[in-house]
Amino acid sequence: MPVVSVENLQKRFKDHLVIKGVTFTLGDQRCTALLGPNGAGKTTIIRMLSGLLKPSSGTINFRDAQKGGDFRRLIGYLPQHPVFYEWMTGREFLEYAGELAGLTKKEARERTEELLELLGLREAAKKRISKYSGGMRQRLGIAQALIHRPPLLLLDEPVSALDPIGRREILELLKELKKQSAVLFSTHILNDAEEVSDEILFLHEGEIVEAGTMDELRQKYRQAKIDIVLAGKMDIFLSGVAGGEFIETRLIDGNQATFFVTDVEEAKQAFLQVIVAHRLPLIKFEISKTSLEDVFMKVVRS
Amino acid sequence: MNLWFVLFKKECLEMVRNFKVIWVPLTFLFLGAIDPLTAYYMPKIVDALGGLPEGTVIEIPLPSPGESLLMSVGQFDTLGVLIIALMLMGTVAGERKSGVAEMVLVKPVPVGFYISAKWAAALILVWLSYFAGMLASWYYTGILFGWIPFGEFLACFFIYGLWLTFVMTMTIFYSSLLKSPGLAGFLSIATAVVLGFVSSGFSHWIKWSPALLKTYAGEYLLKSALPDATVPALLVTAGAIIALLIFSSAVFRKKELAG
Repeated sequence: MPVVSVENLQKRFKDHLVIKGVTFTLGDQRCTALLGPNGAGKTTIIRMLSGLLKPSSGTINFRDAQKGGDFRRLIGYLPQHPVFYEWMTGREFLEYAGELAGLTKKEARERTEELLELLGLREAAKKRISKYSGGMRQRLGIAQALIHRPPLLLLDEPVSALDPIGRREILELLKELKKQSAVLFSTHILNDAEEVSDEILFLHEGEIVEAGTMDELRQKYRQAKIDIVLAGKMDIFLSGVAGGEFIETRLIDGNQATFFVTDVEEAKQAFLQVIVAHRLPLIKFEISKTSLEDVFMKVVRS
Repeated sequence: MNLWFVLFKKECLEMVRNFKVIWVPLTFLFLGAIDPLTAYYMPKIVDALGGLPEGTVIEIPLPSPGESLLMSVGQFDTLGVLIIALMLMGTVAGERKSGVAEMVLVKPVPVGFYISAKWAAALILVWLSYFAGMLASWYYTGILFGWIPFGEFLACFFIYGLWLTFVMTMTIFYSSLLKSPGLAGFLSIATAVVLGFVSSGFSHWIKWSPALLKTYAGEYLLKSALPDATVPALLVTAGAIIALLIFSSAVFRKKELAG
């Protein structure tokens, strides 16, 4: 049974339907990426799961929620821009967060030290948070989300504000974290999603337009692609290959052409024959596969 | 309860870190001491500085002990209320605006705890500061104009203190209701002023108004007898404080913290 099941979730702000009915589940030991361009509704969905926003309709069911119990106990939440009490030190804030989450003073203290170590904040633990850099704040934000070992982690853009090194570290950390919790993180960067997530939810204008495991999506959208660049005489080439049944789609831009083809071998032979026969000035001939990036762009642009 | 205490400790620590624990008592102390002192020394100061035309006779009557203490109460009623409103207007609204309330309330923290811990910490600071101020006024009144029996002083202190508690609770209420600290501060001062005007204007009809506690404390000091309406007014004020606290939590619970 999944840790959380979300069914037909909608959110309306005034007259504007921001989330148009999304359904998904989050499983144990799985890292799910909520991927979409800015304004797609990623933050709204995460905030509804965290209880900070009330859904306009639809249901959210937590597997471990007890009747009358507080489901917030099950959640670790990192907002997009984590904010702290600036006058506290990093250590104080973590201990405070731990105690608020229901740990005893002793547990909170021990867990704080663990997390300071894990997130590389040991040096900064005694400093006031007002002196923290953006990267340190992000780490502290992740630490406070982890403090009570919640079965569900909701991370809103955990790596978007980090430099490449910090980003790498946090992505590695996410891989570790999913061993203990279900993780949902939002991002607008495909590479990040591709790297650590088991499952991707493509969100666009408040709807999940595509979802599945990485492998499923790759299989589904894997398609052979041939890029050709000529120095000129593109029209001769195009008329030469016109009518090839293996061509599914083609994108022409001046002397560059991209073909999505069903049969690479056949296409390759046909294209090269035309080029040789007409002595066309070939600059580039590349065979490749479509990536998720292409899928992402296609989804977002359509 | 343990969780409540964690929140309460945070409020106390915050007041220490941002020096409220120093400047609020000092300000009240100053407000309490200034009136008896100036009432006593002003004629002497004016004399010593001269500057008045020859032959001017200044006759400033010295206040009675009761009047002297009441002048200080008057200070608390204007500047004291202002300080309380300024100090507390951002207590919830500010945390909500900055987003830190979101970080706290996404943890399993009951909203009632969150509000009441803030209230309790503020209550202690306000009463300590107010006590320091009143004590200073009582002391200087005593050595300069004559001693007010400590029991009478305490009664006056508690009666008027409940009005300050009401103002304080009202500020927290507005702060939970609104997202703008400035507006919360303005509204609580405005409400206190309007309530004062209306209550003294219609004092025959609304004898139990919290805003009349100041008048009753004064009458008690000057006549050494509690006005009849004091007890109803105290009860109404206490009830209003509890109701405001419950409203604050209820209103805040309904709010969506994000968005």
